[in-house]
Amino acid sequence: MKTFAYFDSGHEFPEEIVMAAGFSPMKILGDVHQGTAAADEYLFPFFCPFARGCLSDALANSEKWDGIGVAHGCDATDHHYDMWRAHVMGVPIFWVNTPMKIDQTAQIFYRKELTRFIDNLIKQYSVKIGENELKDAIRLSNQVKSLMQQLASLRAKKDISNQDYFEMTHKAVQMPKELLVEELKTTLADWEGRGPFPAGKTPILLTGSDVTFVEYMELLDTAGLRVVRDDLSLGERYFATTIPDTADPVQALVTYSFDMPRSATRVPSDSRLEYILGALKDTKIDAVLSQNMKFCEPYAMDAVWTVPALKGRGYHVMHFERDYTPSDNQMLTRLEAFKETIQQKGGRQNV
Amino acid sequence: MLAIGLDIGSITTKIAVMDGNDLLDTNVSFTGYNAESAWRKILKDTLDRLQLKESVVDRIIATGYGRNGVGIADKTVTEIKCHAVGARFYMSNVRSVIDIGGQDSKFIRIDADGNVADFVMNDKCAAGTGRFLEVMARALEVELADFGKLSLNARKSSAISSMCTVFAESEVISLISKGEQRENIIAGIHESIVNRLVSMISRSKIEEPVVLTGGVAQNIGIQTALAKKLQIKIRVPDTAQVNGAIGAAILAGNI
Ligand code: SF4
Repeated sequence: MKTFAYFDSGHEFPEEIVMAAGFSPMKILGDVHQGTAAADEYLFPFFCPFARGCLSDALANSEKWDGIGVAHGCDATDHHYDMWRAHVMGVPIFWVNTPMKIDQTAQIFYRKELTRFIDNLIKQYSVKIGENELKDAIRLSNQVKSLMQQLASLRAKKDISNQDYFEMTHKAVQMPKELLVEELKTTLADWEGRGPFPAGKTPILLTGSDVTFVEYMELLDTAGLRVVRDDLSLGERYFATTIPDTADPVQALVTYSFDMPRSATRVPSDSRLEYILGALKDTKIDAVLSQNMKFCEPYAMDAVWTVPALKGRGYHVMHFERDYTPSDNQMLTRLEAFKETIQQKGGRQNV
Repeated sequence: MLAIGLDIGSITTKIAVMDGNDLLDTNVSFTGYNAESAWRKILKDTLDRLQLKESVVDRIIATGYGRNGVGIADKTVTEIKCHAVGARFYMSNVRSVIDIGGQDSKFIRIDADGNVADFVMNDKCAAGTGRFLEVMARALEVELADFGKLSLNARKSSAISSMCTVFAESEVISLISKGEQRENIIAGIHESIVNRLVSMISRSKIEEPVVLTGGVAQNIGIQTALAKKLQIKIRVPDTAQVNGAIGAAILAGNI
């Protein structure tokens, strides 16, 4: 199957449209181990390193891809679209302008934008993207989302390491969907048979910049922190809601885009906070780890509002800045200290 | 209960030995390249000095960046918690701890019940740490131990505006070449560290009483600049440098 790669920052790209066109969508995630040297030829080091990693990925691998989509998320995605058009060669690049707001006008605009994207794909690849193709793609996508929901819900009950969860969220956005469904079913059976949530671990909700490399999730586990809820794009934002099964598939995609848990690149932030609060309540957990990657402005700024809002409601919240590096062991002290403060406040280990 | 706290810092290794509530001894040595040989040696030297055998030690807690390498420790605890416990040993109603170590600095807020309520930490950048002072002492050809006293003779403090150790060192060198008095430059260096600390602290909330700990705490110039900037009284225990090890020893005694 042909691969259609995409770069977005908060799960904005409409995967189902390229699926309907016969492609396998693949979210570009960069490779922290390869570094950002290729992109650094064009960009200063004070720009988002994840985005620089994605550009490096595209510069190295674009010939293996049949198309690239860039969807409007944070400022990095917008400017990268222009840069990629100039420097990433040999592959058509498309732009999808996802609105920041969620009002009626934004919905009308987004519907037109999705239709424009569909027309452009039809023109470029001479494919058919009709109602049936879109509905089939939505059905398959919903199957993935529903299986991911079932898997994710086991995190609070079973011994599912952060790394195991990360691996599945990674596959969810990179593997061909038909193969993925089989893999998710097998994993579900495996996870259901796992032992109970380990006594020594502290359950937390993880929010902030997307975690795109497994080492950070491992670090959290090493510190004794188990991510049982999150609102990341490489996580719950991707599957928390399914696409409505309505007669008009384009409108269904619009509704889905507006109903999913909001990222920090969207305004206003109230519904973003609501999702976090709902997740904490549903799972009966009271600790939130908020983090932003260095130079990730949306989440650094978001924390100024979100962190006090959560603290004010009595939750244990810590916000840290982290680097784009697989070995960030200095973080371990802060993470372990966060765990200690949670335990202390539980009255178990007063100093 | 004979309890030991070992604090393996990036520059120095510290030990505290406690018998119940009594602090029997403390010791400091350089960590060097091999952290394991550093803590083994300080443990042996201190026990020899106390004429105690390792077999009579009931519990050991390790803290500091090298805590996970102390194989004989019963437990590891972060330096955040150990500094909070150590500061409470010095002053039971302490509400804020500012710790300036060799390679990191931290602010710890303690609530009325003695819990760590909040903390902020700088461990990614040498500015605002002991390492910054070391680099500046080298540039000024002054013994680090004399830094504090010299700064008290400053007539004014030179402005060091760079937040980065490397650029600040160039600033210091250009001040030297302009003939600026050494004492004034040192006072400026202290102010620059304090400014860095205060902006870190402002991400949390400082409450009195405030205890200053860590190797840099003994520097009178830093103490004075910090008290002036924050407009509060700063308390410095004689055991400031081994405060984390004391906290670890107390926690070891409570396991
Ligand atoms: S990490 Fe932050 S700045 Fe970078 S692409 Fe994602 S949202 Fe944008």
